[in-house]
Amino acid sequence: MLMEGKFTLKAPIQEVWDFLLKPETLASCIPGAEKMEAIDDKTYESVVKQKVGPISVKFKFTTKITEVDPPRHLKAVGQGADIAKAGTFSQETTVDLTEISKNEVEVSYSSNVSLVGRLATFGERIMRAKAKSVGEEFTRNLQEKLKSRTTG
Amino acid sequence: MIRDFEYLTPKTLKEALTLWDKYGDEAKIIAGGQSLLVLMRQGLVAPKYLIDIKGISELNYVKPDAKVGLRIGALTTHRTIEKSPLVRKGFAVLAEMENRLASIQTRNWGTIGGNICHADPAGDPAPVLISLKATLTTASLKGERNMAVEDFSLDYFETALEPGELLIEIQVPAAPPHTGTAYTKFNIIQSDLATVGVAVSITLGSGDGICQDIRIALGAAAPTAMRVKKAEAAVKGKKITENLLKEAGEIASTEVEPISDIVASEEYRRELVRVLVNRVGKEALARAKRA
Amino acid sequence: MKKELKFTVNGQPYEIYIKPKTLLSEALRDHLGLTGTKRGCNSSSCGACTVVLNGMAVKSCSILALQANGGEVMTVEGLARGTELHPLQKAFLDHGSFQCGFCTSGMLMSSKALLDENPKPTKEQIKEGIDGNICRCTGYNSIIRALTGVVKGEYKEEK
Repeated sequence: MLMEGKFTLKAPIQEVWDFLLKPETLASCIPGAEKMEAIDDKTYESVVKQKVGPISVKFKFTTKITEVDPPRHLKAVGQGADIAKAGTFSQETTVDLTEISKNEVEVSYSSNVSLVGRLATFGERIMRAKAKSVGEEFTRNLQEKLKSRTTG
Repeated sequence: MIRDFEYLTPKTLKEALTLWDKYGDEAKIIAGGQSLLVLMRQGLVAPKYLIDIKGISELNYVKPDAKVGLRIGALTTHRTIEKSPLVRKGFAVLAEMENRLASIQTRNWGTIGGNICHADPAGDPAPVLISLKATLTTASLKGERNMAVEDFSLDYFETALEPGELLIEIQVPAAPPHTGTAYTKFNIIQSDLATVGVAVSITLGSGDGICQDIRIALGAAAPTAMRVKKAEAAVKGKKITENLLKEAGEIASTEVEPISDIVASEEYRRELVRVLVNRVGKEALARAKRA
Repeated sequence: MKKELKFTVNGQPYEIYIKPKTLLSEALRDHLGLTGTKRGCNSSSCGACTVVLNGMAVKSCSILALQANGGEVMTVEGLARGTELHPLQKAFLDHGSFQCGFCTSGMLMSSKALLDENPKPTKEQIKEGIDGNICRCTGYNSIIRALTGVVKGEYKEEK
C-alpha cells in the first residue's frame, strides 16, 4: 500500500537533509517503535509493537538508508519479521527535498508498505484498515520530527 | 496452531469479573468463540489465560421490560434472538438482521455480546442497534456503566471496554408509534460478512407524513459502525418524498470512509451506500406508515 | 495441563483428558477416532466439520472441545442404526447428492438439525438450512432434491 504526500518546512535545506540522513530519524517515526539500536551510520534496528483489537504484533525491524543524493533525495528500506512468525513487514520510503528559498524547503515523500504472511491472509481485514492509519501516523511523525528539529 | 493456554471457567458473573481483573492483559475472554477462535487458530491471538464465560447462564436471556422495552443478556446466542417470539413481534428488524448473520452454525453458538465486543466494522448487530437507539451496560468489580451502543465501538476492533470490564446487557427501547426500521446488507455470497450494511429507522408524525426522527446507521463503511448524521439532517423534519430519500443516499455516500479491500473498492462501497440508504429508507418508511 | 471432558457422542458416554486448546473436531477425530467429521478449510468457512451439539448444528472446528463438556454430540457416524441407514443417507444415495463426499458429513448433520427443528421445511427453508455448508461438486440441487424427498416422506424410517 502506497502513501504519498508533501509538506513545507521553514528551515534551510541542508539542515533538513542532515537530520534526515540520521537513520534514527526515520526509524523513530515508525509508529510503535521502541528499543532502537544503531548498527552503523546507515542502519538502525528497532522493535516495533502494534496492536489492532485482539491482535498484537512485535516486529524486529531493520531500517537502512540505501540511496543518497545530497541534499535532495533519500531512499530507505526496512524489513521486519514478527517475533511470533505471523508475518513479515517491509517498507520502502523515498524523501525528496526541494529548496523553495534560503529558509524554506518542500518535503515530498512516498512510502510503500507491505505485509506478507498469516497476518496478511487471515488478519487482512483487520490489518489492512490498520495499515492505512499506521501509514498516516508514520508520515505525521516524520513531519513533526522534522518540524521540531529544525525550528528555533 | 493454537498455543496452549490456561483454561478458566467461571460459573457466575462475579467470578468472571474477578478472574478478568486478576489476569488482565494476559487473558482473553471467550464466549461462543466464533470470532476469537478463528484468530487463535492462526496464531494471531495467543493469550496465556482463556476465561470461558459461555456457561454463565445468568447473562443468557431475552426479557421484556416495562420501562426499557427489550433487555438482551450479552451471552444470548444470535439464534435465540432470531427465533424469539418476543423479538419477532416487537423488534422484528433484530430477528431479520440475525437471520442474515453468518450461517446457522455460527448463530447457534456465537453470542450478540461477543459480536459487539469484537467490534468488526462489518458486523450486523451494531448498525441495527444504533438505528434503534439501543443502549448497553458493562460491569466490572468497580460497578456498572451505561452507554449508547453508538458510543461503544471506538475504532477497528476496539471498544470502550476498560480493563476488567465485561459487556453484560443490551437494552432496546420500544419503538414510538409510527416507527419503521429496516436493515439490509450487500454481500457476495449468502452468509458472508457485509460488503456494506445499512439500517434505517424512521419515525413519522401522526398523520402528517412528516419525518419526526430518522436514524441511518451503516456497517462496513468506516472504522466503526457509523451514523450518517448529515444525511439524517437532510430528512428530519421534512415530508419524506422519493427524491428526499435519494438525496439522503447521495449525502450518505460522501460522509462514509470505506476502505478498498479484496472484496470491493472504496468507490464501489460508496455506491452501495448511495443506493442502499435510499432503498432501505423506502422500506423503513413503508413500515413506519403501517405501524 | 489437561482437563477432563465428559460428554456423550452418538449415545455413548466418553470421558477423556485433553489440552484445553483442543477443538471439538480434534477431540472427535483424534481422540475418539470418529473421523467422519471432516476438516475442510481451516478458516471456519466451509461447514464440512458440522456436528449436532445439544440439538444444534455447529462447526466443530470453531468450538473448544471443553465447551461441549456435559453435552450431547451427534456426528455422521450416529445417523445409521447398525446397518440401517438414516432416511437422509438413503435419500442422498438415491439422488446422487455427493461426488467427492468431503462436504457430505457436514451436509448430512446440518440437514438432520434442520429437519429435527422443522420436519416440513419449504424449499427456501431447506436452502437456508444448508447455507452454512459449501459443496464444490454437486451444485446443491441434488442435495435439495434429496432433502425434499425426505420431507415428502419418501424415506420412512423403518421401525
